[in-house]
Amino acid sequence: MKGLKNLGLVLAVSLVLGIGAGCAKKTTEVPAEAPVVDSAATAVDMAAQTITDGIVYFDFDKYDVKPEYREMLRQKAELMRQYPSIRVRIEGNCDERGTQEYNLALGERRARAAYEYMVMLGVNPSQLEMISYGKERPAVQGTGEQAWSMNRRDDFRVIAR
Amino acid sequence: MQTFAFARADRACRALPAAGFLAACRALCALCVLLTASPASAVTMIDIHSPGQNIVNLAMATPLTGPSQAAAGLGAELHKAIEEDLSFLPFMRLTAPGAVLGGTTLNAWQGPELDFRRFQIAGADLLITAYWPKGDGSKSTVELRVFETFSGSFVFGNAYAGITRDELSNVADRFAADLMEALTGNGDFFRSTLAFARSGGPKKRDIWLVRPTGKELRQITNIPGTAMSPAWSPDGRYVVFGHLDDSSHALGVWDRLANQVKLIRFPGNTVIGPCFMPDNKVAVSLSTGNYPDIFLLNHKFERERPLEASGAINVSPSFDATGTKMAFTSSRLGGPQIFLKDLGTGAVRRISMNGGYNTEASFSPDGTLVAFTRLTDQGHRIFVLDLVTGQERQVSFGPGRDEQPSFAPDSYFLAFTSDRSGQKQIYLTTRHGGDPKRVPTGTGDATFPRWGKIPAQQ
Repeated sequence: MKGLKNLGLVLAVSLVLGIGAGCAKKTTEVPAEAPVVDSAATAVDMAAQTITDGIVYFDFDKYDVKPEYREMLRQKAELMRQYPSIRVRIEGNCDERGTQEYNLALGERRARAAYEYMVMLGVNPSQLEMISYGKERPAVQGTGEQAWSMNRRDDFRVIAR
Repeated sequence: MQTFAFARADRACRALPAAGFLAACRALCALCVLLTASPASAVTMIDIHSPGQNIVNLAMATPLTGPSQAAAGLGAELHKAIEEDLSFLPFMRLTAPGAVLGGTTLNAWQGPELDFRRFQIAGADLLITAYWPKGDGSKSTVELRVFETFSGSFVFGNAYAGITRDELSNVADRFAADLMEALTGNGDFFRSTLAFARSGGPKKRDIWLVRPTGKELRQITNIPGTAMSPAWSPDGRYVVFGHLDDSSHALGVWDRLANQVKLIRFPGNTVIGPCFMPDNKVAVSLSTGNYPDIFLLNHKFERERPLEASGAINVSPSFDATGTKMAFTSSRLGGPQIFLKDLGTGAVRRISMNGGYNTEASFSPDGTLVAFTRLTDQGHRIFVLDLVTGQERQVSFGPGRDEQPSFAPDSYFLAFTSDRSGQKQIYLTTRHGGDPKRVPTGTGDATFPRWGKIPAQQ
């Protein structure tokens, strides 16, 4: 009985070692597969990220694109021309101070200001859409100019790439 | 439930046997309706539209039941419901029962036996009596009458037949409406229903209905996204509203008869602040390529023609009852201001002359006033501009933020939104201002109150 038990133990250890040896052999003989990198997809993703990252901010009750944001919009426009599969929704937003209906209109004007600038820079209008959220979707909660200035903005959301 | 009006002829009704009472009243009903319009002119009338509005003190006698009939409690409940309704009228003050020497229990509900003297001494101008001829058990009839205490004159009275406990609130509303109409010429406050927007979580807001007294609260839309700016059709069939989701604006339309909601999208993806005109067509701001302008939609909610277009923002149209004048917000002179357009001549003029940020115009149906929201140093406040005199009056004073004014059908009450309690809620005030009274709307932010009237069921 005791002999059978020992035999079983030896077989089990051999089996484990055998499997381990097999695995080691396989990994050493077959080189690890390198991750497939679709350079085109990566470039589109990077372009989409760049387009999304840049936010345009506005003054209170204003919808003109300030000079400091024109270079940012030019860069977005260039990327969209380069990757025509990218579609972007420009989302106009306002701070909490104004009233809702007027702010919806103001947000529309802010989205349209960026839209028109980018179309003027050669972006195909079919790549762009606009929406105003008015003051419904603040980026920053709270009151005071610090919060308000972060909420008077155009967001650029990539909806297709 | 049936309602029968008493006038001075009601004594004839009372002389009849109980069994013939209602039949006689039915026969007299048409005559009584005509007569009830006139007695009020002989008694206290309140001009709620003049600045020097007077206060009327009103007492309620303890309800009486017919001989040998037990009081089951409906009388007391109706008494309380009427008191609650009348507490919404700023021109009416209820006389405390304890102030009436000898008490409020009388030995009559009409006629020469009525002891007006005790109510006069307590300072009451008007007295309400309630009589339940068959006791106030289930399916009862109640007779409600109003008298002037100093002259003993009968103001008006109604009998409400076949009422149950569930209908007491409705009876109170109908009586309060008739009383307000008898005293002021317009009782639509108690016949109105407010549409408003109520938050239900992040990016979720739906349209609800509630009576201005907080009764009959109910949700009429339940769709993903944010609903706002509801507006009633004059015929009470539709509520239109603006709707916003992640990718689009839409015009929402709730059909009361079908109890269905549909969302209609427009080219330009901008839909702001719809409002019905008196002919049941909708005016709404749409964007057609440059600025949001105000367009008229046809009866199928399709774009018909521009009502106001300029090289600037044009939003939030509001009309008087004739539909010939439109107040709206425009940025054509820089910051947002209130403008008035004569739809007959096309002439447009600016009417908000003070402050740099005036929005959310609401025309009084009688065409004499425009309420609007002004951004002041203390925050947003409600102002009322008298178009006849050109004078404006501040009618809300915070704290917090007061906005979204909406004139009631009687051109007297104003509903507005305020966060003075820490949460956005709907309040009532009047064209003259005064202490705002909150409309109970349940949990969640309540915004965008708009008045309407659901037609009485046939």
